[in-house]
Amino acid sequence: MTPAAARAGCSGGTRLPLRPAEWQLVLPLALAFVAFFAGPLLILAVVSAFDNEQITTVGFAMWTKFLGDPFYWKVIGDTVKLGFLTVGATLLVGYPLALVYIASGPWMQRVLIFVVILPLLTSVVVRTFAWIVILGREGVINHVVLWLGFAPAPLRLLQTELGLVIALTQIEMPLMLLPLLSVLGRIDPNLRDASAALGASKWRTLFQVTLPLSLPGLIAGCILVFASSTTAFISQSIIGGNRLVYLPLLIWQQSLVVYNWPLASVAALTLLLSVSAGIVALTLFGRRGMRHLHV
Amino acid sequence: MAPHSIGRRAFTIGAAAASGLALTRPAWAKGSVTSAIYPGSWDEAYRGIVAPALKRAHDIDLEMQPLFAVDQIAKAKAARGAPTFDVFVLDPGPRVTGINDGLFETFDPTKLGNAGKLPAGLADDKGTTVAAQVVGIGYNPKKLPAPRAWTDLFKEPFVSRLGLTGFQTTFGTVSIIEIAKAFGGSETNVEPFFTEIKKVLPQIAGIGAPAGMPGLFQQGQFDVMYTNTQTVGTLRGRGVDIEFASPESGAIAFFTTMHLAKGAAEPANAYKYLDTVIGKDVQEALMKAPYFLVPVNRDVPLDPSLPMKSLDEMSKFVRHDWSKINPLRASWIERFNKEVAK
Repeated sequence: MTPAAARAGCSGGTRLPLRPAEWQLVLPLALAFVAFFAGPLLILAVVSAFDNEQITTVGFAMWTKFLGDPFYWKVIGDTVKLGFLTVGATLLVGYPLALVYIASGPWMQRVLIFVVILPLLTSVVVRTFAWIVILGREGVINHVVLWLGFAPAPLRLLQTELGLVIALTQIEMPLMLLPLLSVLGRIDPNLRDASAALGASKWRTLFQVTLPLSLPGLIAGCILVFASSTTAFISQSIIGGNRLVYLPLLIWQQSLVVYNWPLASVAALTLLLSVSAGIVALTLFGRRGMRHLHV
Repeated sequence: MAPHSIGRRAFTIGAAAASGLALTRPAWAKGSVTSAIYPGSWDEAYRGIVAPALKRAHDIDLEMQPLFAVDQIAKAKAARGAPTFDVFVLDPGPRVTGINDGLFETFDPTKLGNAGKLPAGLADDKGTTVAAQVVGIGYNPKKLPAPRAWTDLFKEPFVSRLGLTGFQTTFGTVSIIEIAKAFGGSETNVEPFFTEIKKVLPQIAGIGAPAGMPGLFQQGQFDVMYTNTQTVGTLRGRGVDIEFASPESGAIAFFTTMHLAKGAAEPANAYKYLDTVIGKDVQEALMKAPYFLVPVNRDVPLDPSLPMKSLDEMSKFVRHDWSKINPLRASWIERFNKEVAK
């Protein structure tokens, strides 16, 4: 495969110019986007530029208050950290599972894909409460730990960052696996066979052939998991409890309990910027990997 | 090309009509009223008891929008005079916010045939009370002795089994105020609570989101928490070991009220709805399992599981002035976040 062919394969083919009639088909979606996303986002930015809860005095007092307080910086840091920890965990568990999927026969693949998308078929509230049953003081894990004598007292798993990352790893797993499976499935098996024929071990083939070629799916999965886990308000509040303070909890408190919409807007825009920064970092990392692949 | 194509104009008209319908408020039919309702047991109770009673008595359909009190206020403020529901259901804090922000129509209690059955002062020009809430301590009697005072919660054997919530909810706020008062604070000074919680924070079993508390108690994550009689009744009905204890300083009482939204589309039906809600039969049915709502109609014989024998006894319960609490709440929430965050 030439580098150019590889690049064309990775980017999903040649782009065709849109004809006017087709362009008009996009119009309803574009209008909906402007009305229901870009418009509200603009309002959010405007509201954040008011000094008081009544939204009458223009100023940047809320920005100064938010960005001048080390506590809020810690909350931003914890939110981004939670996203990266969840990405790391889903990657560690998900990538081997994706390799097993590719190596399996059609029947096994059907079973695996069902297991993978199963979390998407249940409500996030149900999934979250199921994790309370698993991680709780009298939950499944603690029963096993105490029964095996690994600890004298129940472990504290709920309302800890570790417990939250474990739960989010399962909850967000489909977002990592679905793009990954799609890209891994499109890799030509002959490339792996060629690598083996040239004397490369299975590990070397994995790290020098399969892994680099699956980077687009890997990065897409990482971005989806990062964006979803940093904004997972229900899981963060129910499993994490109120001792773990993340940006979505602050937004909820300020907008719906305190009615300080300017401060809520500042927190919401900060979340948007933080998640975007994380996504940019993941994309740059992916591009760097891809460049390395095509050199 | 596929033979079954829809013309662009037909598609556009269809899409516009569909989105127009979706944006229309649900109470379009004559003979209906739209009420905001708390999600969960209130929603179920009103769907099961009030809606059929209203249909029978007045041939009015009850449409419900499940929203927490704070969400209703936020939604009404955002709607700016065009509310999506006719009736609010609120706790005292959001009620004061609603009054201050002019979100309610002036209410005429004389239009309620059952208003005379309410204790004095429970229906006024702002709205009518529809239920009471009694807050105290819920504990697992198989694992802990009965706590006698709010201060007991911060001592062993309770503190290591204690589940807390912050100032986001009415019951959380008033409970923390009572804890602060037990340690020397007041309705507007919760400083002693923060001083004391710092000392015991590592021992506390957990600090949860309000909505998750019953589930966490059920799973044994906590064995003692501040809560209301309704949650205790609901959990006990599901086989959970839980009892309600009134602290020595007295259980806390507050009222849930309903209000006519400013610009309500169906005010006449709303009065009929509210009159049905406070009627004897409906109030009695709402008090029973699985709903456990504390009634406000004097004619209803109170359930023995409630911590009072008559509604008049509630005047001895601890009450709070939310016009003083509301202005302080934002700073308390911020402080709570900072003090308890890991």
